[in-house]
Amino acid sequence: MSTAVDETLTILGKSPKDLRALGEARHLSLNDAEWAAIQAHFKGLKREPSLAELETIAQTWSEHCKHKTFTSPIKYTEGKKTRAIKNLFQETIVAATAAVKKPWCLSVFEDNAGVVAFGKKWALAFKAETHNHPSALEPYGGAETGVGGVVRDVLGCGLGAKPVLNTDVFCFGTPDYKGALPEGSHHPSRTLRGVVAGVRDYGNRMGIPTAGGGIWFDDDYRLNPLVFVGTVGILPQWAVGKKVSPGDLIVAVGGRTGRDGLHGATFSSSNLGADAPASAVQIGHAINEKRVLDALLRARERKLYSSVTDCGAGGFSSAIGELGADCGARVRLEDAKLKASDLESWEIWLSESQERMVLAVPPKSLKALEAVFAAEGCETSVLGEFTKNGRLLVTHHDNAVVDLDMKFLHKGLPRVERTATWTGPATSKPAGGTEKKLSAALREAIGNVNVCSREWVIRQYDHEVQGGTVIKPLQGVRHDGPGDACVIWPHAATGDMDDFTGFTVAHGLNPDYGRIDPYWMALACVDEALRNLTCVGADPSRAALLDNFCWASPEDPKQLGALIRAAEGCRDAAKGFSAPFISGKDSLYNQSKDEKGKELPIPGTLLISAIAPVPDVRKAVTMDFKGPGNALYLIGRTNDELGGSLYHKILGRSGGEPPKVQPATALDGFKSLHAAINRGMVLSAHDLSDGGLAVAAAEMGFTGEFGCLLDLDEMPRDPRIFSNETLLFSESPSRILVEVAPENESAFLRHFGKGAKAAPVRRVGQTTANPILKVVGLDGSSIMEEPLRELKDAWQKTLPAALG
Amino acid sequence: MTVRVQPSNTHLVEIRLRPEHADAEGAAALTLLRAQGLTSLIETRVSRLYEIKGSLSANQVLQATKDLLCDAVTQEHRVVTPSPAPMNGANFWRVEVWLKPTVTDPVGETVRDAIADMGLPKPESVRCALVYRLVGRANKAALEKAVSKTLANPLIHRAVVSEAHP
Repeated sequence: MSTAVDETLTILGKSPKDLRALGEARHLSLNDAEWAAIQAHFKGLKREPSLAELETIAQTWSEHCKHKTFTSPIKYTEGKKTRAIKNLFQETIVAATAAVKKPWCLSVFEDNAGVVAFGKKWALAFKAETHNHPSALEPYGGAETGVGGVVRDVLGCGLGAKPVLNTDVFCFGTPDYKGALPEGSHHPSRTLRGVVAGVRDYGNRMGIPTAGGGIWFDDDYRLNPLVFVGTVGILPQWAVGKKVSPGDLIVAVGGRTGRDGLHGATFSSSNLGADAPASAVQIGHAINEKRVLDALLRARERKLYSSVTDCGAGGFSSAIGELGADCGARVRLEDAKLKASDLESWEIWLSESQERMVLAVPPKSLKALEAVFAAEGCETSVLGEFTKNGRLLVTHHDNAVVDLDMKFLHKGLPRVERTATWTGPATSKPAGGTEKKLSAALREAIGNVNVCSREWVIRQYDHEVQGGTVIKPLQGVRHDGPGDACVIWPHAATGDMDDFTGFTVAHGLNPDYGRIDPYWMALACVDEALRNLTCVGADPSRAALLDNFCWASPEDPKQLGALIRAAEGCRDAAKGFSAPFISGKDSLYNQSKDEKGKELPIPGTLLISAIAPVPDVRKAVTMDFKGPGNALYLIGRTNDELGGSLYHKILGRSGGEPPKVQPATALDGFKSLHAAINRGMVLSAHDLSDGGLAVAAAEMGFTGEFGCLLDLDEMPRDPRIFSNETLLFSESPSRILVEVAPENESAFLRHFGKGAKAAPVRRVGQTTANPILKVVGLDGSSIMEEPLRELKDAWQKTLPAALG
Repeated sequence: MTVRVQPSNTHLVEIRLRPEHADAEGAAALTLLRAQGLTSLIETRVSRLYEIKGSLSANQVLQATKDLLCDAVTQEHRVVTPSPAPMNGANFWRVEVWLKPTVTDPVGETVRDAIADMGLPKPESVRCALVYRLVGRANKAALEKAVSKTLANPLIHRAVVSEAHP
């Protein structure tokens, strides 16, 4: 840079301590090795960096943008063995996707979202990410800008996809938490209300159905709530690829740039504390984003731009930096549209003002593009052009602000080796707790805050807009029962009205299993997501996965060791189920000081989101019993796997084996069920998860208002189980309870294999007209007779009561 | 609806539900405040306050209020001059919750654009606040604390608590 003008900072010759202090003062979140690399770079240039350059490097090298933990070398000790991991992401998630080789994966880990083929003409873009730290500080604004961000990710995927579904998964402290909280943190019920309102307002105002998701309550999330937001978009297959060419103009569209949202990316690279910058939180403007969406899709159809990306964390710095990474970019900040005229150069460059996108536009298309955006009342500004000199040059009124080598910016991040350790749980024997009567345990399970009705939340969302929600989030004769997954028919957006192909999205999450072993948690999460989508009629052999890891500080070797276990579980699950990962995110440093000043980390949390096509939405099934006298089949074997289960939590018991997934057998069962659903032989299907068979059967019964009679002795099971409690409440994975009309029973069974890896399936009972859940135990006596109306009341009243 | 004309072309417009309509938003706010220990509060009603800055005349603001901001069926449409009124032995409080000036106000921005779309002069800025009118005994410090834990987040909001008349 000829003249570094904007405020320069002195770093050459400074000690690591001084540099750390400088970084803390400016919220740069750079570690000593990164400071040393920056020092060495500028020493070579024989000059000091400008503030904007340091900020640009800090943003680009942040955990948020570079996923340093997942891509850095790790010395990992498991038990007595130590091994080196070069790049955790490449060796687990990417390796599994490469191994399963699915030709229908059109774009994986490259773009803002993963893309899979949807029929011959169309493709689905799917992305889920978190907005945890902002939501902890300002639940409403944090959640709505989270939704806005993930919608823009899909909008900036390929040449732009039309969003057709939003999903949301939250982890909060219990809403009736009675304990103390540190000054400045919000009560979990306030966080819940604010986050739900934020997701509601953004999705509803943009006209995107919010139809899938879930909530997990655990008091260890009380200071660090997790807010996962996801969006699915549809785009033509020709629009999946994009390429910036030197000479293309850099055009910013959408909202104006202000001082809001500075330091969002670097903010994600540190533990949440009382000194978090207030500017990291913003309020979204859904109407502005809707304008951008409408204009962008119109411009895409006319092929007026060659590439696009969203302005997320890091603002222009990261969007233009990414688009120009392979060529170079020349930016003039004076041409940016501003909210206030007194913004400093670095603030314009790094502002994370919402609802902005950056396009690469061939000069000949500029006028037409400006006209398309003007018609939607959407502002555009030409900020410069992409070059071919490999440099990022940013000026403001002829003053140089940033002059960096793209190679240093994107490849210069020093990799620091971390250490990680994993030691398995000390004992696997269940211990402690107090026995409870079966009926009392069932009532407690069905009313448990992690099982109970989410109607209070779901009713706030518009899940019908766009008119394609075939299976809705609330099911059954009174539209108030639970569901395994939603089914979306997106062809109102494509105009292919005779195409009945749809898709579904399902999630798997259970941090309680992770407390015992994150490896098995990962397999259980993948299994849960896949069996949920199988239950509604989706094809499990066409499922694609997203991973979202939320963890505490990876600088703690034990936390990092657990994260590695989870990542390796993801790898083995993806290979075992032959389901590729197509995109993902990680959010680390989710820990804060509690009211006593002690660090409170979140439980290691993995959200697996799965997407799969439903070949014919007219054949999709819901989970409610459809009539009396139908046979009930249980797919999958029940084992003594109550470790981390809801039943153990209710009894106050610890230890035990977590559920262990056998992917080959599970997939066989899912595929067989899918074939049966596709032939119209299944009346209802519901997966067994929290609370096991007892809770699943009760939910199917009270949602359909028919009872059932179950015989536990008929369950496919480990022959060493002699306990009715274990059979009723075990959370063995890969199990689905299926209702089949008597005339279809033999045809239904023909779909199930007979080999060693075939999933067991047995008739375990039948539906009845009387709405009572009746269970016959192993000794042939009746062990449970529960009126479903009462169970439904218990299921429905928990959340409203907890929220007051 | 209350319209207050402020100096230097700043107009304050308040829109509120007619008293005969149940105010669900107010009831929810009351539950939250009572859960903070303000159990003597007996009623809360919510209204919207718009601060419109620009070269609009009082009549133009009134036109925007009637045609854009106020639903004539469910909301009140009258100009009120604040005046002392009997307190009837209870306390009345007014809580205004504004977004801080550095925080984007999307509702305000949309109203500003919509006023211009009506053919009226485009305001320089429009900011929007929620107003909670509370009935019941409370002291100001306790109320301010409860508001900061329920209705306003000090990180992004400026809450103004004042004694008010019904």
